[in-house]
Order: sequence, then structure tokens, then C-alpha cells
Amino acid sequence: MRSPALAIGWEFRRRHRWGLIAVAGYLFVVATIRFLILGPGEPVLVDSVRFAAVVSVPLTTTFVYLLAVFSFGFTGDLAARHSMYPARMFTLPVTNAALVGWPMLYGTAAMAILWLAARLFAVWPSGIAIPLIWPALLAAALLAWTQALTWMPYGLPGIRLIVAVLGLAALDTVVLLAIHFKAGEPRMVAILAPQVPLAYLVARFAVARARRGEVPDWRGVFGRLASNAVRTRRRDHFPSPARAQAWFEWRRHGRSLPALVALLLPFELALLWLAKDAPAFVFEILFLALITPPFMAACTAWTVSQPNPQGRDSYGVPPFIATRPLTSAELIAAKLKMAMWSTLAAWLLVLVAMPLALEWSGTWPLVTERVRRLHDAIGTPRAATVVPLILAGFIVATWKQLVQSLHIGLTGREWIVKGSVLLTLTFLIVLGPIVEWIIDSPSVQRALWNAGPLILAGLVGLKMSAAAWIATRLDRSRLLGDRALVLGAACWVVAVLALYGVLVWFFSTPFVARYVLALIAILAVPLARISAAPLALAWNRHR
Amino acid sequence: MGGLRVSESVVHVSELTRRFGATTALVSVSVSLPRGAVYGLVGANGAGKTTLIRHILGLLRAQSGSVRVFGVDPVADPVAVLSRIGYLSEENDLPGWMRVDELMRYTRAFYPAWDDAYAEELRRRFALDGAAKITNLSKGQRARAGLLIALAHRPELLVLDEPSSGLDPIVRRDILGAVIRTIAGEGRTVLFSSHLLEEVEQVADHVTMISCGRIVLSAPLDAIKASHRSLNEAFIAHVGSAATPTAEL
Repeated sequence: MRSPALAIGWEFRRRHRWGLIAVAGYLFVVATIRFLILGPGEPVLVDSVRFAAVVSVPLTTTFVYLLAVFSFGFTGDLAARHSMYPARMFTLPVTNAALVGWPMLYGTAAMAILWLAARLFAVWPSGIAIPLIWPALLAAALLAWTQALTWMPYGLPGIRLIVAVLGLAALDTVVLLAIHFKAGEPRMVAILAPQVPLAYLVARFAVARARRGEVPDWRGVFGRLASNAVRTRRRDHFPSPARAQAWFEWRRHGRSLPALVALLLPFELALLWLAKDAPAFVFEILFLALITPPFMAACTAWTVSQPNPQGRDSYGVPPFIATRPLTSAELIAAKLKMAMWSTLAAWLLVLVAMPLALEWSGTWPLVTERVRRLHDAIGTPRAATVVPLILAGFIVATWKQLVQSLHIGLTGREWIVKGSVLLTLTFLIVLGPIVEWIIDSPSVQRALWNAGPLILAGLVGLKMSAAAWIATRLDRSRLLGDRALVLGAACWVVAVLALYGVLVWFFSTPFVARYVLALIAILAVPLARISAAPLALAWNRHR
Repeated sequence: MGGLRVSESVVHVSELTRRFGATTALVSVSVSLPRGAVYGLVGANGAGKTTLIRHILGLLRAQSGSVRVFGVDPVADPVAVLSRIGYLSEENDLPGWMRVDELMRYTRAFYPAWDDAYAEELRRRFALDGAAKITNLSKGQRARAGLLIALAHRPELLVLDEPSSGLDPIVRRDILGAVIRTIAGEGRTVLFSSHLLEEVEQVADHVTMISCGRIVLSAPLDAIKASHRSLNEAFIAHVGSAATPTAEL
């Protein structure tokens, strides 16, 4: 290998070979479906669920994956002040132009290929005019700006994320406005084509600064405040190791979810001002705001379950944590507690911001009117219960999203983590066509309705078998004492009974059998996966 | 130190073998650390020193053979073992986002025997600013911070994995040497690995040489010196000149 360009390209290929092979494999499958199963001239229904599952979700995932690959997002620290460009490459005997140019060129080429392949294999012909050039340019511009904004050193930790999100959102807004005003392909190209060289210049400036070690420091005031806070807290000791570990987890992971929710919520709720005269739109915005915490929790869960995100071995437990004189179960308990505080902080933001936005935007009357109609339809007790129940459901779902992948991430085995991601994506891809098939087939719906209790019973059997096996392993490995196991089981039973009671009271109808509600309650309350987390951590901690 | 009475084994490793895939990292290793001794573990890079230490800390599970620390299996009961150990990792992976004060406050919670006065004394002696973030410390300062939290709870067993790798020669001689002597003088046990033979020669009572996962020599330093002119010569005799560790400048 005699050229820096080849060496840089080889590093991308070698490091991400399995991901890139998966992308190529996916495009091959789509091409096979397109040309061999559907036929080359067969139009594609771009608004179908099947299309969303087979094309939209995987392509969006691939786009985000390529963004992360070519901006060094898998190795860099998004929250840090210093550049995300790998510092080890600054000592290579190459110019800044090469350091910036080659990753940008490879990324641009990858994005262009992705779009052209997608257009050729997936969305053409579809009965609507699909542009050829500007979407590829948009993908390339988004990547180039992501590279430029993430490689820039910043004066404060966390600023990078805000600047990147706002920068990319601004570019997206320009494109959406252009689409709204029906700009043609030449005009779109004229808007987007200068973005890549412009981003290149910014990226070159960013890498040059980072290479010289010029990292601005705006922490003067904040630093003094923090030092004062530290001084005032110096005498406060943690009352127990568990509290100290919970503090550690909160400081490391706990603030990410509230911060992300705080970042998104104002933009979502600002839409209420545009929706005064469209009640349906108001409720869509409120729903969007309500699903933001669980959705963002699903996004941040991988950092919570990664034992050592910034370390050389991001999957292994760092010695600093592994040598804490705490059991693996206590280390997990700290994570669960942190997830609870993180969830409550995120929801506090939602519950404060939402009424304020409704009041100030003048859309409160629409909500009160809908509540009055609900009250008239189901009566006072149920109406008074349904709102807190839905809210509680969202809050529990947020917490569950944060902790339910702990048993995967904490195993420390790369093949398990990547395998589970692949399985999840495959499941999502397969789910769409299956749902569409069920919706289109009344006979299948009838069969499913009849077999519903059996399916639920099977799932409950699976869950309880897994839980029993995990409990046996926990007991044998002495990770949890008998008392803790019995107490945990008792708490779970109480939660299931409480949920069952609510379901029976709420769905008092002869059409749904009570045992079905019991099965739903058993499946809804988390047990097996959370119980498996201490086993996963112990497997990783004592290799 | 040589005159301290050996009452019992703090660490007892018996016939320990460890494989990582096709590589055998440890082969039938048996070691016993007497209480109150300063135990030097020497070997070239990749000889198996860190693997042995990770077994003692319970970070690796014995595939065959057994490991007992204070008479307890460190994997089966990590709390009982780790609460009596002070450990300075070669990787020195202290969380960069913590301030030195926060690090002390956090670590204190895990050790009932934490000595606030001693911790403060060490902080001043190591010239560490309490408000400084770990990420902003130099490599040597980070090593000192790691040493501080390893020492401040006055552990019964101090395990130092290549402690010199982050310290400059003055710190190495004045602080590390003095600290190890103080601890051993108080009847506590020190296990430290190093590839610097001169350093081991200065502070160790007992030396174990490890090469390609096997223990090639384990004897009191005085006995080694009596049979060989120096530790360096003993190392060449048992391990070979190609693997002889060189002094760090």
C-alpha cells in the first residue's frame, strides 16, 4: 500500500467490513426481489407498509450507519470538547487536505452509490417522479456537514451535539422548503452542490485547528462555578457504596436522556403554534412529544448497556469498575436506579413543558374539549384513571427501553451485541410485510384471533421458563441471595396482580376473557431480561 | 523487611493454567505470597504478569487450577477480596470526567477503612489539585491519583501492575519506593509487577520471574543475589538475554 488515499480507504474497509458486507448483502437482496421476483418494469407502491419495512427502514439505518462510519462516530466522543477526528492520524505525514479530503470523498461516494442503488433497485418505477441527482447530493451534503461539525473542536462539552443537530436541521429545512415550493432538479442541485465544497473548507479548518492542538476553552465561568460546587460538596460523603455507584452511573449516563429530550422538545412543541386551527394536528404533536422520551431512551440505551464506551475495549468492563468491591447485582442495581432517575428527569421536562406550550399557544381548549368528550364516553372514574395510566405506561416504557438491553450489552461479547442488532433489524424488516399480510387477509385475522390465547400462553411459558432458568443460575452462582430472589419475585407478582386488577376493571367486557388479561399482565411486567443482567455482567467481569 | 515473620499466605495460586484461544498465557503457575512481603513479579512484556494479576483480582476465572486470596475465591466472593485490596492498573483507566476530589469521595464510599487524613496527606504529597479533572492531568499525575485511591484505605494487599509506566524517575524513586516500603513496614503485603529489574531489586523481598506463562524462578531476593551477582544476571540465566528488560530512562 503506497498511497495515503489507499491506506485511509483500507482502514474504513477493514474496520467496518462486516457492516459494509451487510449493506452490500441487503442491496443484493433488494435487487434480487426487484428484478427476479417483482420484475424490472413492475411499479413499486412507495406508500405501502411492505415498502416501509423492506426499503425505508433499512435504507435509513444504512444512511445513519454510513454517517457514523465516515465521520469516525464509532470511535469519537460526541460530548467531548476536542475533535472527533482520530488524534492518532494527526501524526501521519499527510496534508490536512488529504486527512479531510479522502474520508469526505469516500463518504460522498458511498452515499451516492447508496442512493443510486436504492433508486434503481427499490423505488423505480413507482408511478411518481423520483429525482436522480439531488437526493444523492443531499445525502453527501449531510455527511460532509456532519464530518465538518463533528471534527471541529469546541469550547464546551456537549456543544458539538447541539451545533451538529441544528446545522443538519437547518439544511433539512432548506430542502423541505424547496420541495414545498416545488423547486425542480436543477434548482435543487444549485442549492445542494455548493454544500459539499463549503463543508470541506470548514472541515479542513476544523482538522487544522485540532491538529495544532487548538481546543478553545470557554469553561472559565462554568469551571469556577463547578469548582465552587465541588468545594461546597467536599465534606458530603456517600452514605453507602450503592449510593456512590448510583451517583457514578448518573454522572456517566443519567443526563443523556433528559438532555436529548430537552433538545428535541422545544422544536416539537413549537409546532403547536402552527396547529391552532387543526385539532388533529395538535394531538399528533402531543403524541410525538409523549413518545419522545421512550424513543430517545431506545437510542441512548446502547450507551447505558455498553460497559466502557470510551475505552479501548468498549465491551469489556474497565478494571476501575470491575475492581469495585461490589457484587455484580449491586452494580446492576445502580444502573437500574440511574435509569429510573433519568426517566423521571426526562418526564419532568415533558410534564412541565407540555402544559406551558398548550397554554401559551392557545391550544388548551382543544385538549379540554377532547377530555370532556372522553369523560362523556367512558364516565368519570375511568376518565380520571385513563390519563394517569397512559402517562404511567409511557414512563414505564421509557425506563424499560433504557434497561431492557442491559443483558445483551453487558455480556461484553461483540458477537452477541452485533448479532442482536442484526436480529432486531431483520425482525423489523420482516415485521412490516407480515403485518400487511395479516391486514389484507381476514382468514388469517380470524385464525390469529382464535389462536390468540394459545399464542399468549406460549409466550408466557417461554418467559417463565427463561425466568426460572435465570433464577436458578443466579442462585447457583450466588449472585443474588435467597432473600433477594424471593423479594424480587414477590415484587414482580405484586406488579402483575396490580396491572391485572386495572385491566379487569378497565376492560369489563364479556368479549375479553379474564385469563387473557392475566396473560397480558404477565407479559407486560419486565422479568427475564432484567434478571439476566447480573449474569451478563458477571460473565463479562470474571472472564 | 526481610526479617518480617511469614505467618500465612495472602495469595495462594495453585497449578493455574489459562488459554486465550490458541495462545497459552499461563502454564501450571503456582505462587504463594506470604503476609508482609514485598513481592516483585518480573518478566518481559507479554510474559503473563498481568494475566496472573487479573486472576488474583478475580477479573479472570481460573480455567484450571485454583486461586485463593485471603483464603477466598475472588470470583465467587469479589466483595470480600476486593474490599481488602488496593489496585493500581497498568491501564490507569480512571474516569476522565471526575475531579480528583470527586474521585476520592467516590472511592471512599467503598472502603470502611478509608483514612481521610492519610488521603489528604497523599494528595498534597503527590501535588494533586482537588478541583482538577482527571482528564486534564498528565499521565504521571493520573498514575499518582490512581496510587492515592489504591493506598488511602490502607489495604491489606496492594497490587501494582506496572506502576512505573506512568511515573517519572523522581516519582518512581521517591514516592513509589517510599510508599512500598512504608506499607511493607506496616506488615501489609505488596505485589507489584514490573519489567524494570533495577526497580524490583530496590524494593522487593521476594522475586518471581515469569517467561512465556511459566514461572522460571521464584526465590527471596537475597538468595537470588547470593547465587547470581545481580537480578539482571539471574534474569539472563533463566529467561535469556533476548527478553532482558531494559531500564527506562
